[in-house]
Amino acid sequence: MKAYYAILLITTVVLTGCTEVLPRQRGALALPQMALTPDPLEFGFRQHTAFSKEAAGGGYGGGGGGCGCN
Amino acid sequence: MGWYVSSQDKSNFVACLSVAALALPGLMQTALAGRVEETYNADFQYGHYSESSSRIDVNTYEGALSAPIGKSMTASVSLVRDIVTGASPKHNELDSQGSIKQIVSGASKKALSSECGRSICDSRDGITPSVTYFFDNGSINLNGGFSRENDYTSRYVGTTISKEFNKKLTTANFGVSLAFDEINPTDRPALKGSKTSQQYLLGVSQVINKDTLLLSNVTFAHNTGYMSDPYKLVFFYDNGMFVDFRPDTRPREKFQFAWLTQYVRHFGDLNDAALHIDYRFSTDSWGVNAHTAELSWHQPVGDGWQIAPRVRYYSQDQADFYQEVGTDLQAKYYSSDYRLAGFGAVSAGLHVSKEIAGLTPLTHLKFQVGGEYYNHSASYQLGGNNAGDFADFSYYLITGSFNLRF
Repeated sequence: MKAYYAILLITTVVLTGCTEVLPRQRGALALPQMALTPDPLEFGFRQHTAFSKEAAGGGYGGGGGGCGCN
Repeated sequence: MGWYVSSQDKSNFVACLSVAALALPGLMQTALAGRVEETYNADFQYGHYSESSSRIDVNTYEGALSAPIGKSMTASVSLVRDIVTGASPKHNELDSQGSIKQIVSGASKKALSSECGRSICDSRDGITPSVTYFFDNGSINLNGGFSRENDYTSRYVGTTISKEFNKKLTTANFGVSLAFDEINPTDRPALKGSKTSQQYLLGVSQVINKDTLLLSNVTFAHNTGYMSDPYKLVFFYDNGMFVDFRPDTRPREKFQFAWLTQYVRHFGDLNDAALHIDYRFSTDSWGVNAHTAELSWHQPVGDGWQIAPRVRYYSQDQADFYQEVGTDLQAKYYSSDYRLAGFGAVSAGLHVSKEIAGLTPLTHLKFQVGGEYYNHSASYQLGGNNAGDFADFSYYLITGSFNLRF
């Protein structure tokens, strides 16, 4: 139920908070530090080092299998 | 690809790292949806992992290349080699005072006579090819992977479809991946097994305004097959007296659901700094609920330099069948693996990069170094935990990389 309310809250924020952004106004969004994953190689190493030591998984893109670490 | 192995007791740690390489094309895909990569890219990264109490040490070397094919396709390939040495926890036992002790694999004479003088001496090689086709308002990515070490082989295929709409302010992502893994434990042929994993991803990224991005993904995974750890044991006690030990035995099926939200905000007044906030909730059919929160600040400081400090908090509760030491010989499933216990972890890191643009004939060069310290403790679990500190540990990571675009 908590997750349901959280999804509802985020959806509401997204729908009400969005503004028209013209292509010429998107310069800041294209900066490397604004990428969802600014350093993919380091992120991959970090993410799966943590993944091999923790039970949680998923959420991030790419999927992929091959882990027997449970 | 070649590999060498000389190990007695080894954990599946190396296998876990395989996903690090496998996941990359998908991540890049998410970030680049709808944008054709018009340059050649070459990346190389060295990473070092070191665990406390001289347990596991890993050196990893990774290279990635990507190239445009015509005007609407990009192909990439990534190669990785991990070299692992060390020791890992095998089981828990009770000492004469009734306190729990974690027993690590590295103390045997057999281990000390191994090739690297440790109980685990291993390496892994992996390759991950990927192709992305871009169309007007989206992209389709196909990827695969193969990784091999002495006791573990993994093959996987996946696809991600991205579609932009709402004047390219909204991107929807759909991903599917299938993995087929085989495990053939060293010195334990009876425990040979295989595992099949499937994962589905549904996600939306949204431009909120000229300074803000939001991404929300849900993933659903279904794993079947051998998911026990063949190198771990459970010691059983009755009123403090040892009665038996058995191999780690887990269910052969697991469902896992995760929900991730990423928030990215630009601060023009602060020299184009960027704030990243990630939160992930994860739950599975083994009874593990987990929360992960991460915050990082990316600060350009002039002349192409950028400094990014970050902090991360993680907490999980224990799996339904986890037991510090075994107490019920009638139980169908049991594991004393510290990764299935209730615990929390705090980590902090720093990332520094230097970008050099306009070099001829190189159009772009970027150097990056990073470090992170991670501290695992039962007492950090959300809501508290009185399990004691017998499984507490820490590790640090160091990475160095360069990216060349031409």
